[in-house]
Amino acid sequence: QTTWTMPTPYPDGNFHTKNTAQFAADVDKATDGALKIQLHSNGSLVKHPEIKAAVRRGTAQIGEVLISLHANESPIFGLDSIPFLATGYDAAKKLYAAQKPYLEKKLADENLVLLYSVPWPPQGIYSKKELKTIDELKGLKFRTYNPATQAIAKEAGAIPVQVEQADLATAFSTGRVEATITSPATGVDSKMWDFVSVYDDTQAWLPRNVVIVNKAAFDALTDAQKKAVMDAAKAAEERGWAASAQVTVNATKTLADNKISVVQPTPELKAGFEEIGKRIAAAWVVSAGPDGEAILTAYRK
Amino acid sequence: MDLLPLTLLLLLLLFAALGSGVLIALALAGIGLVAILVKSAAGPVGVFGTSVWSASVSWDLTALPMFIWMGEILYRTKLSEDLFEGLAPWLSRLPGRLLHVNVVGCGIFAAVSGSSAATCATIGRIALPELAKRGYDERMAIGTLAGSGTLGLLIPPSIIMIVYGAATEQSIARLFIAGVIPGILLALLFMGFVAAWALLNPSRMPPPEPISSFANRIASTRRLIPVILLIAGVIGSIYGGLASATEAAVVGVFLSLALSWGMGTLTRSSFRDALLGATRTSCMIAFILAGAAFLTSAMGFTGIPRALAEWITSLGLAQWQLLIALTVFYMLLGCFLDGISMVVLTTSIIMPLVEKAGFDLIWFGIYVVLVVEMAQITPPVGFNLFVLQGMTGRNIFRIGYYALPFFLLLGLAVILLVVFPGIALWLPSTMFEG
Amino acid sequence: MRTLLDRLYGTALFLAAACLALIAILVGAQVLGRVYDMILKLFGHPAYGFIVEGLPEIAGYLLAGASLLALAGTFKSGAHIRVLMLLQAVPAGGRKAFEVLAHVIGLGLSGFATWSLLALTLESIRYKEVSYGLVPVPLALPQAVMTLGLAILTIAFLDELLHVLRTGRPSYSVSEDAVTLGKEG
Ligand code: NA
Ligand code: NA
Repeated sequence: QTTWTMPTPYPDGNFHTKNTAQFAADVDKATDGALKIQLHSNGSLVKHPEIKAAVRRGTAQIGEVLISLHANESPIFGLDSIPFLATGYDAAKKLYAAQKPYLEKKLADENLVLLYSVPWPPQGIYSKKELKTIDELKGLKFRTYNPATQAIAKEAGAIPVQVEQADLATAFSTGRVEATITSPATGVDSKMWDFVSVYDDTQAWLPRNVVIVNKAAFDALTDAQKKAVMDAAKAAEERGWAASAQVTVNATKTLADNKISVVQPTPELKAGFEEIGKRIAAAWVVSAGPDGEAILTAYRK
Repeated sequence: MDLLPLTLLLLLLLFAALGSGVLIALALAGIGLVAILVKSAAGPVGVFGTSVWSASVSWDLTALPMFIWMGEILYRTKLSEDLFEGLAPWLSRLPGRLLHVNVVGCGIFAAVSGSSAATCATIGRIALPELAKRGYDERMAIGTLAGSGTLGLLIPPSIIMIVYGAATEQSIARLFIAGVIPGILLALLFMGFVAAWALLNPSRMPPPEPISSFANRIASTRRLIPVILLIAGVIGSIYGGLASATEAAVVGVFLSLALSWGMGTLTRSSFRDALLGATRTSCMIAFILAGAAFLTSAMGFTGIPRALAEWITSLGLAQWQLLIALTVFYMLLGCFLDGISMVVLTTSIIMPLVEKAGFDLIWFGIYVVLVVEMAQITPPVGFNLFVLQGMTGRNIFRIGYYALPFFLLLGLAVILLVVFPGIALWLPSTMFEG
Repeated sequence: MRTLLDRLYGTALFLAAACLALIAILVGAQVLGRVYDMILKLFGHPAYGFIVEGLPEIAGYLLAGASLLALAGTFKSGAHIRVLMLLQAVPAGGRKAFEVLAHVIGLGLSGFATWSLLALTLESIRYKEVSYGLVPVPLALPQAVMTLGLAILTIAFLDELLHVLRTGRPSYSVSEDAVTLGKEG
């Protein structure tokens, strides 16, 4: 019997974790208990930024990460968080398909095998008052937590304020930050209604989690076990995409139920954001080189 | 090896390692190493590197050395003397007199700092020498400080509430609000105990300070102005939106430097001594944190905390039985793991059980904070004890003994919380539902 | 040799202190930036929006540098705490044996720690790992500093072990015994 240790970054109630737990159960069942995957959720065993490296060196055999967390290492990892490039699930799926071979190759360089990838709900803007045009972002204290959000803040002329998730409530209530961009699911998880009043459903991008496995650990499986893992992964990916779409609907409703006014972006705001998105995508292509161009060509076909 | 014998073996080894005079940080790491070699297939080199790296590189942790530095600067000014001179006439009729400064000082400082160790270290640096100089009972001076330092976790902001809130998807803002009344209650319990102890042990109190005239009192009260400005400045920087709770520690450093300059005590050598002192003390704590982080990771890989939690789950206990079992469980675990690790390693298994038993998760969060506070002052692994050993040279077991009454008072607070859940839940319900 | 070693510990401790001071300066600059914005706002001007880019991550790396570079200096000054109860209870000859054992264990574990961090650093170099925040810092940089701090601690342990073998007590035991309430300085 083989046991794989699996660190994951998000808590048990999160839909990604639930989906991954189901994946582990499916593998257990399909291999008649010969391959057990022991989940350690919420960064309890390995903290989020370290999960990829832990799987690479075999400290853990398998793990889940938000792949754009590693965007600084390679532009390929940051493709899913280019704002306003792929809005909505269909576009995100297409983008994933175009990216997948390059992502697999990049991960293979680190002895990692990609099993599946599931998106977060589309990102929208939380603020105290509705933003009608892109100019209203100028001088606004805008929360940034990664290069993608930093790029948006800079392009829009907002003041980027780096705020950790845990500090968000204090930062909003004391006025250190005035707007943040994240998914409706995260908004519900962090009870955003305690400190903001408007959610603008901009659908800026759909960041994705990936589930990766150490190549040596995977190669050590029997062919039947490998197939069981791959089949369970395929099922998890389909289930995850559907769950994500369902969470978007449910979470957006929960936001509204808690007296957050859920609005659609005005045409002016949308046009402004698309303009910003084009500039950021152009910069991305420059940094990603020929591979980047090939991916975007494939995506836009 | 089975989990039970392994657990006992590790406990035995931990005591042996500590007793042999190995540095505490390395003793913890050594036990982690044994655990992982015996029970886990993971390579110890990789686990050590990852866990020490994650534990050392932490933005939230930067507040700790900054607060320690602030304490070191203030220790070299006349501020602590002024504080005690200013308060002495007002507290002269209250049984326990200046011992209450420890409790109230920690309570106020807790509103700035989210950590128990930082609260204990900063207030301790200021108050302990003054209390010793004035002839207060060492046992009470150290015990009150160990106990009151834990208020840092209950009175918002609080690191442990952030960890719990993230793990259970509870609102951190609500948890913070829920901690306010229990925090005040606990401080009052501590003060009540100090007063009762002083009435029962008059011989162990220093001789009373002369009762001064009202005019003299006002005059000495003016000496409190710098302290009040300092506290107002640090708290104000958070609530004025100028600094995060972490950054506020640095505001404290600069305000203390300004104060020291204003009092004429800021010299090249006092600056250097304060900074080097802070560097050593925070290094000592950070080293133990790193050792503890590796032990925690190793325990995670061995699966011991998980197995214990699963065992409790399997018992099928009624609500009150579950609460007793969990309290015992956390108290045991609290002897060997630090509070945050305890919560991180067990929530995943405990929470479904807690939810099924019908506990309110905000209420349960406050309960967890209280048991974690107890863990801060139980040897061998209790961070307030480490801080106080570093400061006084008394060993952690003796300090743990001094803190025993406060451990029991924390237990009393848990019972009060169970009997009157409104202590935690009333404030959040009025503030958010209204 | 003695002077050289003491200078090594002292320099590392000084660099650690400098890391802490740098954290204070960076955070202080960020807070001052917000104060400036508040004043601008008070007079009806738009905010300037000064930011120290990547502050949380950089401060975290500086903290790790401070914590680990200070290890040897802190050790030599007797500020790393340990439980002396048993050691104080045994007769002098027995104490020497205990002290030797404690320092051999310490040497072994700090050697292991150095090795682990070195492995981490080499891996970061090999895979060109960078931080995930706004300023891409090569992780090998802070990791190498941490490794260095642990290596110096290992040297200090060897240094102390030799001292214990000669005299029966570590050199820092003077300050360990001297730390008493109200007399610390
Ligand atoms: Na606090
Ligand atoms: Na403890």
